[in-house]
Amino acid sequence: MRGKGIHTNDPHIQALARIVGGEKSILYKKEDLLAYDCDGFTVHRHLPKAVVFPKNTEEVAAIVKYCHEHDLPFLARGAGTGLSGGAIPLNGEVIISLVRMKRLISVDLENRRAVVEPGFVNLKLTNSISDRGYYYAPDPSSQYCCTIGGNVAENAGGAHCLKYGVTTNHILGLEVVLPNGEIVEIGENGIPDPPGYDLLGLLTGSEGTLGIVTKITVRILKNPEAKQTVLAYFDRVADASQAVSDIISAGMVPAALEMMDQTAIEAVEAAAFPVGHPKDIEALLLIEVDGISAGIAEQIEAILHICRQRNVREVKVAQNEQERARWWANRKTGFGAMGAISPDYLVQDGVIPRSKLPEVLQQIQQISQKYGLRIANIFHAGDGNLHPLVLFDAEKPGETEKALAAGSECLQACAAVGGSITGEHGVGIEKKEEMRFIFNDEEIIAQTNIRDVFNPKNLLNAGKLFPTPGRCVEVKKG
Amino acid sequence: MLTAELAAELKAMFPEIQVEEQDVHPLGNGGKVAVYPQSEEAISKIVKYAHQNGKKIAIIGGGTKRGFGGLVECADILLSLANYSGIVEHAVADMVVTVKSGTPFQQLQDYLAEYNQKVALDPAWPQYATVGGVIAANESGPKRLGYGSARDSVIGLRTVYPDGTVIRSGGKVVKNVAGYDMNKLFIGSMGTLGILSEVTIKLRPLPKYESLVLLSFQTGDIDSIRSFAVQFLDSMMEPVCLELLNPSLAERLVGQRAYTLAIGFEDVESAVHYQEEFVQRIQPPNTTIAIFSPQEARSFWNTFYQIGPNGANMKEDGNTVVEAVVKIGVVNLDVLHILRESELLQDVCHVNIEAHGGLAHGLCQVYIKGAAESVTAAIEQLRATAVQRKGYAIVKHLPLSLRRTIDVWGGKPSYFFLLEGIKTKIDPNRILNDQRFVGGI
Repeated sequence: MRGKGIHTNDPHIQALARIVGGEKSILYKKEDLLAYDCDGFTVHRHLPKAVVFPKNTEEVAAIVKYCHEHDLPFLARGAGTGLSGGAIPLNGEVIISLVRMKRLISVDLENRRAVVEPGFVNLKLTNSISDRGYYYAPDPSSQYCCTIGGNVAENAGGAHCLKYGVTTNHILGLEVVLPNGEIVEIGENGIPDPPGYDLLGLLTGSEGTLGIVTKITVRILKNPEAKQTVLAYFDRVADASQAVSDIISAGMVPAALEMMDQTAIEAVEAAAFPVGHPKDIEALLLIEVDGISAGIAEQIEAILHICRQRNVREVKVAQNEQERARWWANRKTGFGAMGAISPDYLVQDGVIPRSKLPEVLQQIQQISQKYGLRIANIFHAGDGNLHPLVLFDAEKPGETEKALAAGSECLQACAAVGGSITGEHGVGIEKKEEMRFIFNDEEIIAQTNIRDVFNPKNLLNAGKLFPTPGRCVEVKKG
Repeated sequence: MLTAELAAELKAMFPEIQVEEQDVHPLGNGGKVAVYPQSEEAISKIVKYAHQNGKKIAIIGGGTKRGFGGLVECADILLSLANYSGIVEHAVADMVVTVKSGTPFQQLQDYLAEYNQKVALDPAWPQYATVGGVIAANESGPKRLGYGSARDSVIGLRTVYPDGTVIRSGGKVVKNVAGYDMNKLFIGSMGTLGILSEVTIKLRPLPKYESLVLLSFQTGDIDSIRSFAVQFLDSMMEPVCLELLNPSLAERLVGQRAYTLAIGFEDVESAVHYQEEFVQRIQPPNTTIAIFSPQEARSFWNTFYQIGPNGANMKEDGNTVVEAVVKIGVVNLDVLHILRESELLQDVCHVNIEAHGGLAHGLCQVYIKGAAESVTAAIEQLRATAVQRKGYAIVKHLPLSLRRTIDVWGGKPSYFFLLEGIKTKIDPNRILNDQRFVGGI
């Protein structure tokens, strides 16, 4: 029996179409699948077998069960904004798109929690509760379109996680479809510390390799009473780095502490949201303090003092919400702004101990010279999360490879000072070999052992997150 | 193998490690022979020995949580981390510290205070409890509201696996999503997956100023406490704790037998006073307010963290009074019902109960004292109340004999097969803390 309106003899496509209720909820023709051959990481591309659009948990479970029983590889996808290739169907997967599961199921302000479906867009949650003075804290730059399900998979961060933490710190409960199609609920009712190993913590950031999240209970917060934002221009990047260190050492926990270097400033000023930053400074800091109104002025004064002590050229406090919003729009669209000064760019996501900032920025500069590629730096300075943006032109033969090598070398520099290869973008396909910079074989096996508990057939999002085992052996075979 | 033989064999194999024969303990979770490794390498050697010789290991730090879970009176080896203590690395500017797991929690805090920094956790018995124990048992206190729990503070671990391998998870940076977040697996795992060797923690600055507002509700009317809490939580104040004490606990701590809200503020001084004034402005009728200065607040908390039984001080004294501690998790404001229920249970079950719970994080601690049957009856009733409200109750302290009659973890969750699968994958021979955790894992 064919699915309604389905024009293929592939029995799997027909069966999947029946599960999701017909042709309107499945894509399987090549021209339709092209849009799903990559996510925000565009270096690798691969066509999926099909894309299905379930409407509820039961449909997700039925699709997964079907794939499990027929040994079809599959993976989940949200908005496709991931930057490390986590949603790329490397093995011709059936993509389970969760964009139709986008309801805000409930909001409980008194107990400060909300329940959403995975396809619900991050910023919509805050927009739904802001009139009552509440918000959802994790704020990745793509928050206007990325989904909370995707945020859970990647343990997404954002500019304000210095004070408020990343996604994992805000997840209270998950309904999960396991790779065999079984549905489990962990952290029912969003009550903390459910007895047992912390599966919420394990699932969050597992990059869609342990299960598919179909319902999420998140913590919501009350808006801070007051907020002030400071913009500081430095002639020398070393002074800016030192100011960052001084602010933290003074016992302050700003809500955000962002840095951009000269190349990044050139790009954001050439793009859609210019602010009028001077182009001849080496670095700018965007600093936000929030909390009880009575305490803000004192902290702002202290920050201004520190900036001045560190030879700031100019430092100013946002005079109103419009100005603050302009500064943030300029920062949050920073990656995309690279398009204004370069045909292509590759963003990296290394993390370093804050105190190593000057040293590592220097090394990134050297890597840039070595490869003859410009590297812009836009990053969360407060928590040491660097985003070197390697600028290149994919049309020029060999330049993509050069850019990838330069990016990898930046991560090596981060790892060498005791840092990590990714702070918020995830490993995905992009950084799986770089996992070896920070973990040995035994430590990687310890992780894949956990994957085997959840995903023993490894049909769910295979080939991501971990380096290819026994690479040498495979190379020999080839 | 007889105890003396085991001790002799361990002494012969590991001449550098202190080995002692042990007596049984009323709280169980002991070993025939105690060993006191002083290095990660020594821990690893002992675990390898156990792995190769089919021996079982119980793990102990300061012993404060010896009565928390566990059905085994005496494993082969009691591995004590008491002599494995000290700071490995403190990156002052990065606000990150790495410590050996046997370091007493308070010792670490005292050291960090010199740098105006702290670990943002407030566990019970900090002078005795070790960092490793606090993390392994996922201990938290009232200030969890402001600062989160162990899962929010721990950024890296070195863990000795049941075959003696050392596995690193996380790292030394405050933001990290490389690979699975394996730290989370070990936090709260009660030592059933590995022995924590080194713990890396992100630090917070010490607050510039702090105070504690005690708001006592004279009438005992739960609804009026609820309306105050809802109004206060809907404001933009930023309390680090909003902990309700039941009347008997309030009487012990501040001499007033009335439901009392402990509202803590930690911020710059002007912000703290501003928030105190806010509470005074919305003070409900029939309540009294006391505002504790920084010194008074600190002294209050020091006493507070010692209200429960300390497993390290327990002795077999023929005393028929049993002490139990129950941790109850419910939806935030349901804490009010749990506290009221525990108040009522005192008469129903003929027990003494002290209790507190966080109205904005949903966790309660209930301390029960009485005859054995009365205490277990009270635990069962409290659990029934929690479960009725879709929460849970875990018994955190109880003598071994009673732990064998009551499931301290409250049964298995529906996804128990995943927990068991993880345990079996990592510790197939159940060498470490066998039967200490949920569902006997």
